[in-house]
Amino acid sequence: MNIVWWHWLTLGLILIGLELIIPSFTIIWFGLGAVIVSIVLASLPSCPLSVQILIWTVASALLTFAWFRFFNTRLDRTKAGSSKGAVIGETGLVIRGAQQYDKGTVKFHLPLMGADEWPCVADDPLAVGDRVRVVDVEGHVMKVEKIAKGDK
Amino acid sequence: MEPAAVVFAILFLVVVVTIFMGVRLVPQGFEFVVQRLGKYHSTLKPGLNFIIPYVDIVAYRLTTKDIPLEIGAQEAITKDNAVIVANAIAFIKIVDPVKAVYGISNYEYAIQNLVMTSLRAIIGEMELDLALSSRDIIKARLKDIISDDVTDWGILVKSVEIQDIKPSESMQKAMEQQATAERLKRAMILEAEGKKEAMIREAEGKLEAAKKEAEAQMMLAEASAKAIEDIAVAVGDKELPALFLLGDRYVNAIQKLSTSPNTKNFVLPADILGAVKGIAGRSV
Repeated sequence: MNIVWWHWLTLGLILIGLELIIPSFTIIWFGLGAVIVSIVLASLPSCPLSVQILIWTVASALLTFAWFRFFNTRLDRTKAGSSKGAVIGETGLVIRGAQQYDKGTVKFHLPLMGADEWPCVADDPLAVGDRVRVVDVEGHVMKVEKIAKGDK
Repeated sequence: MEPAAVVFAILFLVVVVTIFMGVRLVPQGFEFVVQRLGKYHSTLKPGLNFIIPYVDIVAYRLTTKDIPLEIGAQEAITKDNAVIVANAIAFIKIVDPVKAVYGISNYEYAIQNLVMTSLRAIIGEMELDLALSSRDIIKARLKDIISDDVTDWGILVKSVEIQDIKPSESMQKAMEQQATAERLKRAMILEAEGKKEAMIREAEGKLEAAKKEAEAQMMLAEASAKAIEDIAVAVGDKELPALFLLGDRYVNAIQKLSTSPNTKNFVLPADILGAVKGIAGRSV
């Protein structure tokens, strides 16, 4: 069987189409690789099969690598449903102060994870009325840090 | 097929497998725990991730959405020794996937049992009536007790809702029996009170009647006395007419006696005058 350029193009389009059905973000690079091979084959019809497969392999690997290296910009994503993402960075008000190694209580504007009041710990002593920011969640305790006055 | 093509085809397969192993697409709401050569390495966040093929493996896939956990119905004994049945639903959330997979072997089972035992402990400190009527208190206490235990497991118990809390079947039966017995007691007391009152009334009636009777007798006696007195006054010294009247009545009475149907023999007194005198109580 003699493989010509449009065979590669068809294979490439099928693989790109498969990406829609199986969203794994890997098949598309092999599809694009096949499209590149079809372009090479159209301009160089005498290219042997082994070289064609090699081009496909290298092109696919390069495209995958390039995506992760250069184009995979981490866009701002929603943090809904993530483990701590929705809570870290929230600011609240200390309503019960605490010394170090003691638990205080912090109150939030809106309920966070099912409650608007949480026990909290901090590295520095907390006084009633301090504004704090959540830095970590440890079980049922919020780890917070004080926000300096004027700091937003 | 030329030998070079076979080698390149195999190379292609290796590249495909490698890329497949390296690219990890984590859906929103999940987090993957990655181990590098058997040790924890990192946690993959939602989105497209790249791990080093062959060295890194995704060891655990965890959901970070809230997980509803059914806490099956169980019997608990209250402070006053009543058996009640309670079941609940807990909403938990994994806040630290690493602790959740390495801190405990089966967090769902652990939390289910933790809630169960805590629920029993809380109900054990309450009286039956309080336990049946204060879900909110139970909820708050439950959350309180559990929170310390779950810290090591990277899990947050968002809320525990008591679905059903009711006395056990035998307890319900006993409560019903108690209610029935109380009603029966009341009915019996009411009946007895009715009888008592009836008897008192009856006795009172009798007493009243006796009083009236006595009064009547007294009045009769008084009237007789008065009549005798009157007769005595009327008779005065004129004894004969009175004696005649008395004798006449006496004779009449004897006459009636003689005609009475049950009379067999009759003896007439010979000395009528003497008899009459005896009746009048005087000597003529």
